[in-house]
Amino acid sequence: MDGRVFEKLTVLGESAKYDVSCSSSGADRTNIGRLGNAACAGICHSWTADGRCMSLLKVLLSNDCAYDCKYCVNRRSADTKRCTFEPRELADITMEFYRRNYIEGLFLSSAVLRSPDNTVERMAECLAILREEYGFAGYIHAKVIPGVSPEILTQLGFVCDRLSVNIELPSSESLSLLAPQKKATAIFGPMRQITQAQIEQKTLRSPGFRERLLGKSSGAAGAVASAGIGGMSDTDSNHGRGMNADEDGIVPDGAGTLVPGGAGALAPVSRYKYKERFAPAGQTTQMIIGASPESDRQIITMSEALYRKFSLKRVYFSAYIPVADQPELPPLLTPPPLRREHRLYQADWLLRFYGYTADEIFTDSEPNLDVDLDPKVVWALRHLDYFPIEVNRASEEELLRIPGIGNTSVFRILRQRRIASVGYDDLKKMGVVLKRARYFLTVGGRYFGDVPFEPLAIRTALGGGVKPQISLFETMTPGLTLGGEHELFVR
Amino acid sequence: MNYLYDETFDGFLTCVKHHYYTENAEGIFPNSSAYQMDLTRYAMTVETDEDAARIVHRAIVNKISKWDAERVYRVFCTNEPEKEMKMLRYLRLGFKQGGRIRLLHGHPVVNDVQKAEQRLGCEVHRLCGLIRFSETQDKLLYAGFEPDNDVLEFLAPHFTDRFRYDPFILHDKRRDKALFAYNKEWQIAAFGEEEGQEIQMSEDEATYRRLWKEYFEVMATKERLNPACQRRFMPARYWKNITEMST
Ligand code: SF4
Repeated sequence: MDGRVFEKLTVLGESAKYDVSCSSSGADRTNIGRLGNAACAGICHSWTADGRCMSLLKVLLSNDCAYDCKYCVNRRSADTKRCTFEPRELADITMEFYRRNYIEGLFLSSAVLRSPDNTVERMAECLAILREEYGFAGYIHAKVIPGVSPEILTQLGFVCDRLSVNIELPSSESLSLLAPQKKATAIFGPMRQITQAQIEQKTLRSPGFRERLLGKSSGAAGAVASAGIGGMSDTDSNHGRGMNADEDGIVPDGAGTLVPGGAGALAPVSRYKYKERFAPAGQTTQMIIGASPESDRQIITMSEALYRKFSLKRVYFSAYIPVADQPELPPLLTPPPLRREHRLYQADWLLRFYGYTADEIFTDSEPNLDVDLDPKVVWALRHLDYFPIEVNRASEEELLRIPGIGNTSVFRILRQRRIASVGYDDLKKMGVVLKRARYFLTVGGRYFGDVPFEPLAIRTALGGGVKPQISLFETMTPGLTLGGEHELFVR
Repeated sequence: MNYLYDETFDGFLTCVKHHYYTENAEGIFPNSSAYQMDLTRYAMTVETDEDAARIVHRAIVNKISKWDAERVYRVFCTNEPEKEMKMLRYLRLGFKQGGRIRLLHGHPVVNDVQKAEQRLGCEVHRLCGLIRFSETQDKLLYAGFEPDNDVLEFLAPHFTDRFRYDPFILHDKRRDKALFAYNKEWQIAAFGEEEGQEIQMSEDEATYRRLWKEYFEVMATKERLNPACQRRFMPARYWKNITEMST
């Protein structure tokens, strides 16, 4: 083997590692730094010294970027070592690692090597060698380069299990400020094409499903095309700094992928070359947290809309680690906002598995999550009149609202109730976190909290301090107008 | 009465029979532990009786359920302390309660068994990721490891599926046995330490190990070091068989 392979793998691995996604085979899992998550559905192969699960060979095809995004280590203007894999080289490494059970699959991303099309073509070539020549059956997740043409994206989709197009930043203002070559159009175009391809092959229930049930929109395609991603928020009037589709000219987009105006097809009907399926594990996206001034409410509202409109499987958040000294960005020594990232994941979890909406999680006076407390606790404290809930009588939905009780515990409680009533000691065995839950429930009419049943007392008992109201961001980033809501860099 | 048995599942089932037809069991211990505890004086050595075992097994399937018979077998494969008595208590409760026993999650007897079973499941799941294969000179894949529980046969479905076209050997070094598999078929046979050491690695093996280690080093984010978390998921006792953690 060529000695330079060692250098390439370390350089291109290093560049790729700030990606947070670590899910494999459709079973999602993310370990969020020190606040690690133990419930692991997929197979994890190793854990790095920072405690993150490693199940995929995560690497860039190239870091020789033509673009100049301000927050990125590989931007054109940065002085860094540039490497590019030959497609076959990378296919070999992946296959050999897979056979040795080091990895479950490949997570392939890349900088923009000359042009988006050229880059994605090379990625697809590498993956085709793996799949077709080597018979690789592992998991493949590829990052789509914004701006790629639909034909080339189609090729890529058929050799991947999952695709992602990164949103990068939660608003188009931030995007044009920090990643000037990336256009919202170029991001949502591929996203929409992927969604559409999946609907055609019926791996997805069409997006907007929920809206249609509610009679809000005429059809799946219509929902995507006309609403795009800014119009998505039924609520965008008051906090709508999300990217706006129409404003950004998504409909129809420049590459001509769209049949204008929300009619039937969104992308040209792809010629399905192989029998393989197009990205059967769906698509995800990622946002960088803390490089730009958006509030948590905007971020979560945006995620909610992405789940609904594009049926994304996951939205990942990545705490920004400063890599460059730029006036538009937090200074170099700013610690990455890990706690905020963690709270965002919790809020995201509430959206996906507990039936909360973004509007329930936030109020107008609190557009950011409380860094001290789980958003579920915060919601419960705001709605103490619903509590305490009697575990032996409550419905499934009510049980799910109790902090410290998750889906599994609810299932167990309901199962046990069919046979005998649930006692306080049983709860622990069922996986209920009593430390939190006891303030919000009664068992057979008895309350187990040890402080008065009022918001402040419970809040303190759960470790929530007085909320900090400092706004550091404002002083750090001149040039951005902020609503004084960014206390989150304070840790 | 204390019983000593030969550490086979049939042996255990024979003890169950004796519990009902000879004398109540106060303890069931492996033969090998007799000397440490000076049990020889107070214990009866149970001769494994396959027919008796089959009858007991059928009784479990009919009076409790097939699933519970399998469950007891899974617990048997763990290294749970005093697992034999825990299994016996579960069966006794099961013979009274029938198939609904598995729903009694709060019951201490059920809880014991459930926990042991979970630990086994957890190790199996974890090992699916943590086992490391090497390529031998004859292009076989070989992996040696030292599991806490007797997990070989539970690993078979996953790995036979993963390596459909590669023949492979999974070697439980602690119990001196190995699983040999090819083309979805597998069997378990005795396989000693020396036999494991005789295996020669292929030329590329060292290169790929080094490549993997270097990659692994690079992937840790220096700003977020958290060795405690790493150790929680990847317990130190496994390290010597994990390429990237061994020296
Ligand atoms: S396009 Fe990607 S790799 Fe290139 S500078 Fe932007 S973020 Fe970095």
